[in-house]
Amino acid sequence: MAHVPTVDGTTMNGATSLVKSLEAAGVDVMFGIPGGAILPAYDPIFDSTIRHILVRHEQGAGHAATGYAQVTGRAGVCIATSGPGATNLVTPLADAAMDSVPMVAITGQVPSLAIGTDAFQEADIRGITMPFTKHNFLITNPQDIPRVIAEAFHIATTGRPGPVLVDITKDALQKEVTYNWPTSIDLPGYRPQFVPNQNAINDAAALIATSHKPVLYVGGGVIKANGARELLELAELLGAPVVTTLMARGAFPDSHPLHMGMPGMHGTVAAVTALQKADLLITLGARFDDRVTGKLSTFAVNAKVVHADIDPAEIGKNRYADVAVIGDVRETMKALVPALKAALAKSHPDLTPWLDSMNKLRATYPLGYDVPSDGSLSPQFVIERLSQICGPDTIFAAGVGQHQMWASQFVKYEKPRTWLNSGGAGTMGYAVPAAMGAKVGAPDATVWAIDGDGCFQMTNQELVTCALNDIPVKIAIINNESLGMVRQWQTLFYDSRYSNTNLESKRVPNFPMLAEAMGCVGLACERPEDVDAVIEKAMSINDQPVVVDFRVHRDAMVWPMVAAGTSNDDILIARATAPDWDSQEL
Amino acid sequence: MAIHKLEVLVENEPGVLARVAGLFARRTYNIDSLVVGPTENAKISKMIIEVSVEGHSLEQVIAQLDKLINVIRIEEVLEGAISNTKHDTQPDYQN
Repeated sequence: MAHVPTVDGTTMNGATSLVKSLEAAGVDVMFGIPGGAILPAYDPIFDSTIRHILVRHEQGAGHAATGYAQVTGRAGVCIATSGPGATNLVTPLADAAMDSVPMVAITGQVPSLAIGTDAFQEADIRGITMPFTKHNFLITNPQDIPRVIAEAFHIATTGRPGPVLVDITKDALQKEVTYNWPTSIDLPGYRPQFVPNQNAINDAAALIATSHKPVLYVGGGVIKANGARELLELAELLGAPVVTTLMARGAFPDSHPLHMGMPGMHGTVAAVTALQKADLLITLGARFDDRVTGKLSTFAVNAKVVHADIDPAEIGKNRYADVAVIGDVRETMKALVPALKAALAKSHPDLTPWLDSMNKLRATYPLGYDVPSDGSLSPQFVIERLSQICGPDTIFAAGVGQHQMWASQFVKYEKPRTWLNSGGAGTMGYAVPAAMGAKVGAPDATVWAIDGDGCFQMTNQELVTCALNDIPVKIAIINNESLGMVRQWQTLFYDSRYSNTNLESKRVPNFPMLAEAMGCVGLACERPEDVDAVIEKAMSINDQPVVVDFRVHRDAMVWPMVAAGTSNDDILIARATAPDWDSQEL
Repeated sequence: MAIHKLEVLVENEPGVLARVAGLFARRTYNIDSLVVGPTENAKISKMIIEVSVEGHSLEQVIAQLDKLINVIRIEEVLEGAISNTKHDTQPDYQN
């Protein structure tokens, strides 16, 4: 923990104490908007070493904090005033909770004597955010500010990461106090287990070493724990197929021969089938989400489960674990490698038949797409070229919908923390502010948001923030003039009755003009032959945000697909087309 | 339906009851009865919660409860081990 002895014991007001505490916690940037109740804090912010980025909507501040946290691994910080300022943070907090993102949100609150009186801009934000913060605080006594800020960052960044909200009354910000940064943290009810139990490791190794069809089922926890290197070592030691969930894209190189791709509703046939037919799921920082398992009662019915997670409540929540390993998943993998070497020395089943059958599936059913016969632009082609031209060091952030799934499928990820998306919450509008936060956290990286025309219209105002604050992100709008994923479901399940999914975004708004109005460079592309040139043009501009309106074919669909609530066994590779299971030996 | 009695030590702070009650409501755990009282330590309160765990495992209820930062310790009280007064207080979210 950083320590700032020079101001310890100094008298200051609560607001200054808050800013000094944030500095002591190591904060270098925060995203926010001032307002009445938080206004005392904005005076010392004016003099602080912390870079404050003035956003245009509090939701933008919240997702920017998430984007920052996802690329740096440090807690993202956002700040807002009471009432509507605070409630506008609700969606980003829920989003960060679902995706286990370390975030600290600071909100102003009405004066303590006004609480409970329905005062102007009063909202019970602590009550509102209880279900989807890891913890939250209401400070009414300024003496508590340094301790609570230290606890907030400790809780947000340790154990299973998550969002923490600190609500501070205006009078607490205004009163004079003596500042003292705490020398230790005392949270009797919070002791996350970091180092795994060796007996559990040995049990896991023994189970792995006797299985003939194991799969490494890798979730976002591996990225949170910075465990990509350890995963590679474990995977190569065992020689088993690997699948990476939507939150884990980049945890294992897409180019690696053991990688079967992403499992789940829009996963590859090989990845979905690897889980379904496995005799052992080696589950690493994953949580058996319904989008991965499909109908739970039919999921991987012949598999035993090793479940490694830092959150004990994930064990047995959706799927029984034969061996549970509680702890940091990187520490778990570090301990598992020598234990598995020892176990494999006694028993080493031949995994070749299993791997061969998965490789055959992967070769037979690669990800693909149909090129529109009318010569119009295919959305998958745009995303594939973005990946190929921009390369594996590029950070991609997606919104939610078809473009998100295509970005998870057709961008080839080689490194952790290069893929940001709203996985659990499915928050449309995530991409632009998350890309902004990512670019602030990794200023030397190229950051592309791959966004939909629907999503873009929810949060594009943050491009003004980017233009004014030297945050040159690049936005690819995959403009199919529709709420595309909803339209896909209407095509498949509602007899092609397109109720309220036609956005007419090729008529209004004019995205390049909108981009120019916000201080960005606006480009457009609607022919396949122009795609490379427009991407290269966008890549050549580094002093301004760039928005490219890719006007794509509207009837493209995301495949493969496991329809919601159905079994993974019923995966379709195209409309009404199942894989040819009879020709596979599984 | 199996009913289990949990003795839960929590930090005596504003909002703790709401955190526990909210957790049970949003994860659809049924509270049969709930008693909250002080302990000899003014910083710590004790909750006695009777929960019927149909459809959920007791381990899952305890694990989720333990994730609350203000929850310090949870113990299952086995019948006859401790005598407690049973209250009929039904939280209003219970169906």
